[in-house]
Amino acid sequence: MNEAYRFFLLFLGALLVYNIILIRFIALCPFMGVSTQVETSIGMAMSVLFVMTMATSVSWISWNYILKPLGVGEFLYIPVFILIIASLVQFVEMVIKKISPPLYRAMGIYLPLITTNCAVLAAATEAVKPGFLKLNIAYHFSLPEAIIYTIGVALGFGLVIVMFACIRERLETSPVPHSFRGAPIGFIVAALLSLAFMGFANLLGL
Amino acid sequence: MEERTNLAQEFKKGIIDQNPLMKLMVGLCSALAVSNRVENGIFLGIAATFVIFFSNIIIATIRKRIPDQVRIPIFIVVIASFVTIVDLSMKAYFPAVYDRLGVWIPLIVVNCMILARAEGFAYKNSILRSALDGLGIGMGYTLVLLVMGIIRELLGTGKIVLFEKTIITLGPVNPPLIFVMFPGAFLTFGCLMAILNMYEMRKKE
Repeated sequence: MNEAYRFFLLFLGALLVYNIILIRFIALCPFMGVSTQVETSIGMAMSVLFVMTMATSVSWISWNYILKPLGVGEFLYIPVFILIIASLVQFVEMVIKKISPPLYRAMGIYLPLITTNCAVLAAATEAVKPGFLKLNIAYHFSLPEAIIYTIGVALGFGLVIVMFACIRERLETSPVPHSFRGAPIGFIVAALLSLAFMGFANLLGL
Repeated sequence: MEERTNLAQEFKKGIIDQNPLMKLMVGLCSALAVSNRVENGIFLGIAATFVIFFSNIIIATIRKRIPDQVRIPIFIVVIASFVTIVDLSMKAYFPAVYDRLGVWIPLIVVNCMILARAEGFAYKNSILRSALDGLGIGMGYTLVLLVMGIIRELLGTGKIVLFEKTIITLGPVNPPLIFVMFPGAFLTFGCLMAILNMYEMRKKE
């Protein structure tokens, strides 16, 4: 299998086949919480893409050059990765605030939320520590592969969250049984979306 | 006397009134993902209850010494330490379950339920109250996992298998596999929430 094709498979696998929200149920809280308007969900998707890619790169470097050579990875990886993410989020927030105030106004409110967005930690753990990913071609990722994989995950998150926000805006005005109003009907819609995404299973042998 | 009823109240509220999954809508991700089997639900429920119980105690103990600005990183470090304990012991004693739960064990760290309790309750209340609150919330979480697990496993596979023993079978039926798969989780959870809503609306009238 040549390199470019592998990258493509990794990306596609993370984006559609193992979609982080609908197939693996990671990051449901922002999915339900933020996806009430299309605009806010686009903002959230962009910030997640940004933070996630950086978090995976830094985690990859710290795992391969610090934790593994020192032999402390097995029991320190959870605190280390989460601290990387938390401090990265703080750092990114400060940088954006200084460099581009308009971008900060657009993205700022989502940044603190991302610390507890499980998708970031999940992507970092899976891309860095072998044995967690269930994708068929998964093995020990190199840095570019880890980054490609993470971008796929983040875009998958963005795709679903924006799609779901569009549906939810319509749901506001539709006649829904009283006890299903709000979150319950959201879950039913998510079930149907998830059903559609199951159609991607086994795509290209993934 | 009043003190005692209050303490019982701290424990009880987590189970129905402030159920983390149904009412507060936190910690959803792990609950939906692992509830396809009753066994998984039991293990994740115990793991999360353990973490929330001890992290609540530790945070309530040191709450007066934590500077306000850096409280979130401190909470996360406390939680992460307990998650590491769970991670390593489960890997050692239950490798098969660990393999099935996979990334969900490290993800307990970012389970918003635990951070929300640390920030919203343990940071402001006494040790005893925080411990009871953690226990109650953990029980509420486990309860929902169990109910979802029973519904999904029974409908999806036609039987419930617990520790490699079949407990209940529905007989020779052709079960809709969809319930143990991904859409089934959303569907079951949405319906459960709607039922709870309906029950509460009836009660109000």
